[in-house]
Order: sequence, then structure tokens, then C-alpha cells
Amino acid sequence: MSEVRFRNPGWAGNTGEFDLNEADVRGTGYVGERALDGGHPSVSPSLPYMFVKKDPDAPLFEGPYRERFDKIRSRYPTARAALLPALNLAQELRGHISPETMDEVAGLLGLSDAYVRGVATFYTMYNKRPVGRFLIQVCTNISCNLCGADEVLAAFLEHTGTELGQTSSDGNFTVVEAECLAACGFPTCVQINSRYFEDVSADDVPAVLDRLKRELNRSF
Amino acid sequence: MADNGRKAETVTLTIDGREVTVPKGTSLLHAAESVGTEVPHYCYHPGLTAPAQCRICLVEVEGAPKLQPSCVTMAADGQVVHTDSPAAKRMRQGVLEFYLVNHPLDCPICDMSGECKLQDYVFDEGRERGRGREPKRVFGRDDFGGDVLYYGDRCVMCTRCVRFMDEVARDSRLTVVERGSRAVIDTFFDRGLEGASFAGNVVDICPVGALVSKDFLHKARAWDLDHTPSICPNCSHGCNIELHTRDNLVQRLKPRENQEVNGHWMCDYGRANYEWLNRPGRLEAPATGRGSDRRTADWKEALELLFGRLAAAEGDVALVGSARCSNEALAGLGALGDEMRGRTAQRVFRAPRAADEVPLPGFPLLVRRRDLVPNAHGAGLLGFQRCGDDGGEGGLDEVAAHGEVIIVLGDDLADQDGDFGANASLFVYLGTFESAAAGNADFVLPITTFAEEDGSFVNAQERVQRFQQGLRPPESARPAWLVLGALVAALRGEKTPDSAPEAFARLVAAHPAFEGLSWEAVGDAGVALGAEAAHG
Amino acid sequence: MAYPYRHDKETRVLSECFGDPAARTVAGWKAVGGYGGIARALEIGREATIEDVKASGLRGRGGAGFPTGLKWSFMPKTAARPHYLLCNADESEPGTFKDREIIRWTPHQLIEGCLVGSYAIGASHCYIYLRGEFFETTNVLARALEEAYAEGLVGSDILGSGVDIDITLHVGAGAYICGEETGLMSSLEGRRGEPRIKPPFPAAVGAFGMPSTINNVETLAAAAHIARHGGEWYRQWGTERSPGTKLFCVSGHVNKPGNYEFPLGFPLMELIEDVCGGIPAGNALKAVIPGGSSVPIMDAADCRGCTLCYEGVEAAGSMLGCASVIVMDETSDIVKQVRRMAHFYAHESCGQCTPCREGTTWATRILQRIEDGRGTEDDLDTLVQISEQMTGTTICVLSDSLAMPIISSIEKFREDYLALIRRGERVGAA
Ligand SMILES: Cc1cc2nc3c(=O)[nH]c(=O)nc-3n(C[C@H](O)[C@H](O)[C@H](O)COP(=O)(O)O)c2cc1C
Ligand code: SF4
Ligand code: SF4
Ligand code: SF4
Ligand code: FES
Ligand code: FES
Repeated sequence: MSEVRFRNPGWAGNTGEFDLNEADVRGTGYVGERALDGGHPSVSPSLPYMFVKKDPDAPLFEGPYRERFDKIRSRYPTARAALLPALNLAQELRGHISPETMDEVAGLLGLSDAYVRGVATFYTMYNKRPVGRFLIQVCTNISCNLCGADEVLAAFLEHTGTELGQTSSDGNFTVVEAECLAACGFPTCVQINSRYFEDVSADDVPAVLDRLKRELNRSF
Repeated sequence: MADNGRKAETVTLTIDGREVTVPKGTSLLHAAESVGTEVPHYCYHPGLTAPAQCRICLVEVEGAPKLQPSCVTMAADGQVVHTDSPAAKRMRQGVLEFYLVNHPLDCPICDMSGECKLQDYVFDEGRERGRGREPKRVFGRDDFGGDVLYYGDRCVMCTRCVRFMDEVARDSRLTVVERGSRAVIDTFFDRGLEGASFAGNVVDICPVGALVSKDFLHKARAWDLDHTPSICPNCSHGCNIELHTRDNLVQRLKPRENQEVNGHWMCDYGRANYEWLNRPGRLEAPATGRGSDRRTADWKEALELLFGRLAAAEGDVALVGSARCSNEALAGLGALGDEMRGRTAQRVFRAPRAADEVPLPGFPLLVRRRDLVPNAHGAGLLGFQRCGDDGGEGGLDEVAAHGEVIIVLGDDLADQDGDFGANASLFVYLGTFESAAAGNADFVLPITTFAEEDGSFVNAQERVQRFQQGLRPPESARPAWLVLGALVAALRGEKTPDSAPEAFARLVAAHPAFEGLSWEAVGDAGVALGAEAAHG
Repeated sequence: MAYPYRHDKETRVLSECFGDPAARTVAGWKAVGGYGGIARALEIGREATIEDVKASGLRGRGGAGFPTGLKWSFMPKTAARPHYLLCNADESEPGTFKDREIIRWTPHQLIEGCLVGSYAIGASHCYIYLRGEFFETTNVLARALEEAYAEGLVGSDILGSGVDIDITLHVGAGAYICGEETGLMSSLEGRRGEPRIKPPFPAAVGAFGMPSTINNVETLAAAAHIARHGGEWYRQWGTERSPGTKLFCVSGHVNKPGNYEFPLGFPLMELIEDVCGGIPAGNALKAVIPGGSSVPIMDAADCRGCTLCYEGVEAAGSMLGCASVIVMDETSDIVKQVRRMAHFYAHESCGQCTPCREGTTWATRILQRIEDGRGTEDDLDTLVQISEQMTGTTICVLSDSLAMPIISSIEKFREDYLALIRRGERVGAA
């Protein structure tokens, strides 16, 4: 069985000194499930998830999402300020930001369509095209790069059988290059959907991908 | 400019060794301008906010740790500024070089060539070409809709166009898409500028050839165009404009700055409607006689004959003017009516009216007015009454059937038929184009359009504004003020006015609404009529 | 305790609870004295709190090192208009990974810091701007903030004081430039994250046009401790000009990279060789970038004797920045790494300023050509000149941030460039 050793935080070649489990490190036990309606208004703009299932036709801002949107709006003095949270929410639901999504969000906030396009294209996290169920973002910036990030990136491309930025034929994986993810002490850092995988070496890549395949049914 | 009697605070500084005193709050860029130094600038435009992003306007201010962007650095007392020090020059050259890294330098096929600020600045201070060896970025051409084309490779990313649409048109249809060197200007995918009311201004303010007019595309080279100060003839706001002409044809209209009227801007409707000035089918020569008796005559002969008929005419007079005519022409027509023996029974004009006004939200003084003619207010002040419908038609039934004297000035009578004036004892038609309704005219006299003469209009703000002659008229056409002025003078036994200013002076003397005005005072910027001169 | 980045020499103020999941809760944070800082601040009042922070000599940990107490004192004293505190949790400077660590292990440390800062500057609303990639980190902070609201620590009438302070989490969407203070404000307002020209300064016209103060996560976390213990207490560590402790993010070629907390003034070589267990495989040190990628590169000679405080690193020819120590050993390919940095800045330039927009891309392409073995010696001069033209000529300092590593690398590692240019030889593999 190919189990990925969870080494974060750790260093290349875990010496075993480290006895926290993954949930401790990620804080998932403490966080638990976050409410889709955003929970307390103070944290409502902070809840984008990157889901495995992406439904480009999902209705925007209905049910709990509507509640979340209303809470978000209540935290800012202007409607414009709710734009990034609204786009984040839209991407959480649909997986990418299409022109139609931009248009809908613009209408909702009373902004011009072109303005929303300008903002959406400024930020690299808005996928302008659909991406795979898992978006794999490999940091190749300096600290990771010094420690072999290029090989890690190559390994992800090889083992998913994709070209940079393209989605694998089964729709599972899209591999892209990322800028520094603020985990430079744990190279190479790879962001996969909402999670960071740290201390990833090229050799670890098959096991990471196996784990993801097993997780195709998880929500995020 | 009114300073409300308060003494404006000033600051005194030194620019390139010369001391200057400017009002507090003046930018270094403007302060330098006041001593005749143009500091290069792209992103700064006086009608827009200043993001200070192009960095081409950097100047040295003694004591400041870095070069300062002169567009947003305010003049202060005792400042010592160098626009041309080695540091400032080196930096500006550097910035220019950056522009050239990706600029296609396709000046030979660029519509902006000759009035391009990149060309100018590179010529003034740049290295002829940069040291860039890398292949250039290519974006290609994009149709922005409306009259606007975008050539991304020429764009210097000054964002003037985006800011115009955001801040002035308040119609945010343009945006910067992407970031860094991948950034371009774009609209929302297929949706563009079509149907916008003021978008044409983005072409004017684009400092390079990135935004160009489809209408003007490859039509003329900038250096071949003559520029004539004028007034937009397409609504009663009277935006100050320039006629750009070549080969005796208007090639385009461009706004001319006037902060009291139109700022730096004009509307798309006004901008697009100039072809009528170039229209063929102009009246070729004076003519006399009705129907089959019609024959051409020379001016002297025609006027002598007409003078005789006018002097002898007894009956009531119907005057039809046009709000496309100058004040001088309309005043001449009115005066002619007054000099005749008969009573002036009708003194009317017709003008098309749009359903709505179209204001420019970020410069609220500018409104595309409902009256789609330049001088409805002048006509009113000079005693003409509007008649007809909002299409500028109808309302002339009484005149058409009038049995005595009819004089028509500048109205094409396009909606009238061959019976017009059939009963008139004398029917005089002064016009620019052939008209089917002029068949019964005893005299057909070709006059010039406003583009072919000097004159003035009164706009909807009650402001008198002058325009200048930009086109050569057809050989035999004469300004209406001259034709009418000659007839009035002959009836009165005085000298014919020999110029538009003279015609204006006579108008002022005759019409209290214009009291106190002089041609010089009106100048290129115009003057508002006194409040007491409001027309009734 | 199981947190691996530990060394006996450390002085743990901010990092005391790293690795202890229990400290994530309000109860856990209170158990180590947490929320004592805001309690004391409320007791001694705004002015006294600012005075404490001034006295502590705390300098901004976001990179510029501006004295925090002084920055707070720029805010208008009257609250005619809303004031905002903006917490900069956009951490994206390559080599820097301390703020994430603070937030995910001790979210209440940050929340308390935000309360102290907000109270001191008279802000009733604080926005924490988190980089969009921090999904997991943000979730921890969100849960902690919900808890703090529930406990009456945040919101109206905090701790029964009658003071109202709201905190809102705001997440970005992938743009390094949103870590620049005015870029952050643009982004928070729902705009493209484009920095703005100063003046006006944020304390006069900041977020939403209102007086605003912006502070880094670590700065605010430290302020929470200073509020609890007083300014003089903080000065027991560090140097006269760089008081207190600091998290050092060590990455690159060391055996034990990670976050280590020391008083400012700690010797660089001791950090690398002793604390971080030296360089793998006994390789020799080649270069260090001491403050995140935006500062000049130091060669091994510069590192000897260098102490890690603002003035110490300056004396060694570079800048402390956010104390992100990137270690490069003899296997490092300087040209490749500088090209990678240039690529980063070109990718992250917002594109407003011509020297930055064009310069970062142009420099990247020249560096790429050199790396591909098609460079010329003239290219090095061109690179230096481009870099000079990018220095001090733009709205923000992102442009200068690339210029510094380029100029310093060409100065210190010219041979590496020349080896590629003249002989097509790559120096180093990493
Ligand atoms: C391009 C650029 C990126 C920056 N990124 C960050 C950042 O990610 N986090 C941060 O705290 N400060 C960042 N800064 C510094 C901030 O502009 C600002 O100085 C800092 O947040 C102020 O907080 P402090 O006084 O507490 O350090 C950046 C500056 C620049 C020019
Ligand atoms: S298109 Fe013209 S006005 Fe618009 S940003 Fe480009 S250069 Fe400036
Ligand atoms: S507003 Fe009127 S005067 Fe001005 S450009 Fe338009 S049509 Fe011409
Ligand atoms: S220096 Fe670069 S990142 Fe900063 S404002 Fe200018 S273009 Fe944007
Ligand atoms: S360099 Fe890879 S996470 Fe920072
Ligand atoms: S004109 Fe001053 S920076 Fe652009």
C-alpha cells in the first residue's frame, strides 16, 4: 500500500521526531465542518472551498449560499467590496469563473460587466477555464526550487499524463506552476484544491496521486 | 475666470532656473507648462483623475530623495525643480526605452502618426530605438464596437480610456484585463462600445495610435489636415470643436476644450454627423424666375432685380428661418422683414427635436440637447418662433399658402411639395441645396453652410459662440449675412456690412439681448449673455 | 511538545505554542495568558497603549521595519469618520512563511493583536486580509474568530469595556501585490489590487477613503504581548535599534529549515550552522538572501559576522526585510534562481508603472536567454541599466525589489553569468 507519510511540518527525510498527526497539523479537528451559510458573519467572506465536484451550471447564491452572500454584504461599507468574496463563492460552486458568471455577479452587485472582468482577470486564483477535479499547484519559486521543485512539477506532469495547465483525459487532474505558497521551509509545497501538501519530493508524487484518487468522493 | 474677489493663494518656485508664481494647488506639470516647458505625460489628462502610473513625467525636485511625478506633485514655495537635469532626462529616456521594448513602431501605417505622443517624445528625447533584442509581444487588433478600434500593440497602458469611461461617461465598458505585461484594454467580451453616447472621446485622449476611429481609419494623415475652430452644429449645446479638413472636405470633428461648455469632450452623435457638410447637390448659382422661366443669373443682376421687387412689394411678409443659420444671417433676415413695407406676418423656424437629453454624467455641463440644431436659442432671441413637429417638419401650411411675400432662409423645405409658395406675390429662397419646394421661388440664392463662413450661434446655455470658416464654399455661394445685409443696406441706404464681425456689430446694435457684446469679446471661447438678456 | 522547529537557543515569545493544538482554542490561549494584552490595554487606555508600543521599539515585521507605535500615532485622534485596522496576512514574499505559522497554530494570538491595534488607533472594524491560497489556515482562524465572538472577546462591548471592535476575515485571490499596503486597500475595496500613489497616506485616506493603519500579522501578534507586558519588557531582547524577538524563516539548503524565534541581532552563521543543522552533505555556503526575495543577495563573505537585525544586515549590504533567510549552497545555480525571481516579479507586477511592467518582463527574457546560453556580455550591462531604471521610479517598490537581486547578483556572481555567456557552462544544478 502506498501511504504518503505525512511530514508536515517536517524536513526532507523525516527523522521521526515529529509525532503530531495530520489532523493536528491541518487543524481539521478544531475546525470541523464549516457551515455552508458562512457561519458567523465575521467569517462569512472567508469560506471558499475548492470542491472536488465542480458544477459549472450550479445556480449562484441560492439557499445557504444566498444567506452567506447576504452576510458577506453586511460586512462591508460598499457593494464593490463584496466582489472578491462573491467571485470566490461563485468559483466554489462552479469551479471556474466563466463570462456568464462574471455577468451574473456584476448584476448582483450593481457593477459593470467589464469592471468585473477586469478584476477577475487580475487575480490568478480565478480559473478562467474549467479545471480538473483536483487542481495541483506546484510551487517552483526560489526556496522550493533550490530543493528540487522542478523535478516535483515534472513528476506530477508525468504521472498525470498532462501538459502544464491541461486537464487529464479523465478530468481528474490539472497541474499548474504556482508562485511561493508561504511554506518555503517545507519544500516542495504543493497546493491541491484547498489543502497544502508539503515536503513533497518527486518520489512521493505517485503516492500523492493515489491518495487523491481514493479521495475522489470527498467533498473538498 | 471669476475669483469671487478673493485673492487666490500663490506659491513661488524655480523651474529650470526661472522663477514662477502659480496658484497654490498647481501641479509641477502645469507650473512648468506656464513657463513654456512641456513635461512629457501619458496617464495624466486634465479631465481625468491622475494615477501617476506612466512615470514619464518624472522631474527632479531638489531635496527629494527620488524623482517626482510632476503630474501629482504640487508646487510649493521655494521648490527648485529641474525638468531637464541629467537625472530627469536619463530617467525619462529610460521610461521611453521601456515603451519601445514592445511597441511595434508601425508609424507608417498608424493613423496617429504625426500627432502621436510616443513619436513626439522619442523624437524629443529618446534613444532612436531601444536596446530590446527580444521578440515583441503581439496582441493584434480588436474591434471595440461603436466607432472604435483597438491596436493593443501600440497601447502604452496609460488607462486614460478606462478612466474616461469610468469617471466621465460613468459607463464602465472598458477595463484593463489581466495584469503586468500581459495586461491589455478590453471590453466585456463581445459587448463593446456600441450604443454608448460619448465613447468617441477615448480616441481623442488616447496619446498614441492604440484607439482609432473606424470612420477615420486610413482616411488621411494627421499632417495633411487643417484644423479650424468651430462649433458642433448637431445640437443646441454647441460643443466647441475643430473641423479637420482636407481636400475641402470635412474629415472628422474633434472637441476643442472649453470648460464652460464641453470640457474636453463631445458626444458621439455630434461627432458622427458631419457628412452633410460634404454633401453634393449644392445650389450652383443664383437663379431667377419660376418654373420654366427659371434661369441662372449672376449675383449683381439677381440682387438688383430682387432689390427692385422688395422695394416695390406691398403685402405682408412671411419669414422662414433656420436654426442651422448663424445669428448674423437670422438677424439679417429679421431686419429685411422689418425694412419692408408690409407687416411681418410670420417669423418662424423649424428644428428637429430628440425625445431625450443625453447628459455626460461626469461632466454635467455637457448635455446632448433635445434640439438637434445649433442655433435654436439664437433664433428665439432674434424673434423667430418655433413651428412644426419634433421631426423638424410641418407647421408651414399657412406660409405655403401665403399670398404675398415669402422669404425662406436655410430651410430645405424637404417635407414640402411643389405647391409651396404658388400663391406668393414674391417668393425668395436662400438655401444650400436644391429643393423640390423651391420651384415657385422667384429667386433662388445659394448660400454657404456654417462651415464655409464665419459667424456665431447662441447655445442652450445662452452663450454666444463663434465659428470660423474651414471650407471653401461652392464658387457662387455667399454667406447669408452678406446677401441679406446687402439687401437691408440697400433698402436703408447704408453701406453693406463687409464682414461677419460687422454684421455681428449691427445685430448687437439692433437686439438688446446681445447688448454690450463685441466680436472680440466673444473670441474663441464665447461669452454668456447677461442674465437680463434671457429671451422671452 | 512535538513541534519540530525547536532549538534550545530560541527565545519563544510568539512561537511558544507552535505545535500545540490545544492553544488554538480560546481556553488554550487564555491558559498561557492570552487576552491579557487587550485586557490591560483597555485598562490603561488608547494613548498609553500607543506609548507602550512606541517604548517597545517594535518595528513592522512586514518588511519595511517602520516603527509601529509611531505609525499608530499618525491616526487622527478624533473618530469623526470610521477608522480601519487592516491586518496584512497576504504573506507571499518568496522565502517567507511565518505569518501562516502564527495563524494556524495561534489564531487567537493574531485576534488579540488585532484587538490591541484596533483599540489603539480607534478602529471599530478590523479586516484581516488573508491570501486566497490559505484555505486551511483561514479555516482555523475563522473557527477561532467565531469562538472569540461567542466569548464576547470580539464584537460589541468587548470584555465588558463598552468598546466595540469587529473583525472580518477577507480573502484575496492570488496576487502578491495585494501585500503592498495600498494594493491591499484596493483589493479589499473590490478593485484590481493596484497600489496607489502616496500621498495621501493611509492614515489620512485609506481603505474606503477612511483613515487606516496596516500592519503585518507578526507585528500585531508582537503588539499583543507588548500590551500585556509593557514596552520595556520587550526591550530586554534585541538591539537598541532593533528591539525584541523575531521569527526567522529559514529555507533552502539547510538540514533543518523552519521558523525559529530569536532576539534580533542573532548571528546569521550561527542560525545556519548551529540552529538549522548546517548545510546538507557538508556543502559550502554560496549565498544568502536574508530578507525574502526582494533584497540584495549576500555572498558567503558578506554572511560572516552578519547579525540579524535591521542595522546588522544593512551593514552587510542587504536588508532584513521580513527575516526570511534563503540559504544557497555551492550547488546553487544563481543565474537560474535570479531568472526565476525575475519571472515571479514579472508575473506579479500589477502593470500600472511602465518601468515595472516592461522592465520586469524584459529582464526576465534577457535572463532566460542568458540561461539558455544565448547571452552576451552586453546583456549584463543592459540588465544593470534596466534595473537602475526600475529603481525609485515607480508607485510601489515591487520594481525595486527585482532590481536589487539582479544588480547584486551580477555584482557578486558575475563569474556565474560569464561562465554561461562565454562557455555555455552552468554553475550549479539547483
Ligand atoms: C510588493 C510588496 C509586497 C508586500 N507583501 C507583504 C506581505 O505579503 N505581507 C506583509 O505583511 N507586508 C507586505 N508588504 C509590506 C507592506 O506594504 C507593509 O509595509 C506592511 O504590511 C506594513 O506592516 P508592518 O508595518 O506591520 O510591517 C509588501 C510590500 C510590497 C512593496
Ligand atoms: S488604448 Fe490608448 S488611452 Fe487606452 S490605455 Fe492604451 S494608450 Fe492609453
Ligand atoms: S452635445 Fe451637441 S453640440 Fe456637443 S457634440 Fe453632441 S451634438 Fe454636438
Ligand atoms: S511598481 Fe509595479 S507592482 Fe508597484 S504599482 Fe508599479 S507596476 Fe504595480
Ligand atoms: S518558495 Fe515554495 S512555498 Fe515559498
Ligand atoms: S503623467 Fe505623471 S505619471 Fe503619468
